[in-house]
Amino acid sequence: MSRKLAVVFLAMLVLVAAMGLKTIVTAHGDGSVIMANGGAPAPPTPYKNGGAPAPPTPYKNGGAPAPPTPY
Amino acid sequence: MPGPFACLIWFVCMLCEAAVVVCALKKRAFRRYLLLNLYMGGAVLSELGRFKILSEYGFNSRQYQYFYFYSDAVLTIFLYFALIALYSHVFSEMKAERYVKMGALLLLGGTAAFTGAVVLQSSAKLVTHFVVDLSQNLYFVGLVLTYVLWGAILKLRETRTRLIQLVLSLGVYFSLFAANYAIRNLYPPLSSVFVPLIQVFGLFLPLAWAYAFWRLPEEARLVPARLAVIPR
Repeated sequence: MSRKLAVVFLAMLVLVAAMGLKTIVTAHGDGSVIMANGGAPAPPTPYKNGGAPAPPTPYKNGGAPAPPTPY
Repeated sequence: MPGPFACLIWFVCMLCEAAVVVCALKKRAFRRYLLLNLYMGGAVLSELGRFKILSEYGFNSRQYQYFYFYSDAVLTIFLYFALIALYSHVFSEMKAERYVKMGALLLLGGTAAFTGAVVLQSSAKLVTHFVVDLSQNLYFVGLVLTYVLWGAILKLRETRTRLIQLVLSLGVYFSLFAANYAIRNLYPPLSSVFVPLIQVFGLFLPLAWAYAFWRLPEEARLVPARLAVIPR
C-alpha cells in the first residue's frame, strides 16, 4: 500500500513541477506554443482568430491601479 | 509554402526519423524499444500527412493548422509512452514495471484533468484548445520526467550505453526547445534567428537515436567513474 501511495505522490509531484516550470517559461511568452515533434513548419495556433493584438480584459474599468482587496 | 531551407530541413528530418526505424530493424532492436520505434514511425506518417495537406491547402489554411496540432498532440502522447518505456528499461532489474505503469497512467490522467480544468475557463473551441494545451503540458511533464530519469540513472549507476544515449538525447532535445522558447521571449529581436532554429532542433532526436541504434550495441557498457582502480 505504501508503495502505491508513493507512486501517487511522485506522480503528483512531477505534475506540479511540470506545471510550475511551464508557468515560469511561458509567463512572459508571446502566446506561441512549444512544438517538439518533427521538422514541419509550425502554423499559428488554430484557436486564435486573426492576428490582432489582444485587448485589455473587459472587467477593468479605466486604467487606475487596482487597490488592495478590502478584506 | 515555406521556403526552400525549411523544406530541405523538413525532408532531412523525415529521412532521419525513417532512419531510426530502419536502424532499429537492422540491429534487431525494434521489439526491445518498440514504443520508441512506434513514435518515430508515427512521426514519419505524420510528416507525410502534413506535407500532403500543406501542398494541397497551403500553409495558412485551417486544414493544415488543425492537422498539425492534432497530429502533434498524438505524437506527444506517443513520446510520453516512449519515455515511460525507457523508465521500464531502467527499473527492469528492480521489478518495478507495475508501479511505473501505474504512475504513468496516473500522471497522464492528472495532466489531462488539469488541462481540462484550465481549458473549461475559456469559452470558444474547447476541443482544439484542449488538444493544444494537453500537448503543451505533456511536453513539460516529459521534460521533468526525463531529468528525473537521468537522476535515477546516475543514482542506480546504470551502465548500458545505448540506454544512456537514448535518455540523454531525449533530455537535450526537450531542453533545446525550452531554451529556444525562453530566449525568444527574453530577447524578441532575436526571434528571426531562433524561430528557424526550431526546425533544425527537430533533427537532433532522430539523428541521436539513429546513431544509438546503429553504432552502440546492446551489450556496450560504460565504466562507472567511481569504480576506477586507485594505486596504493
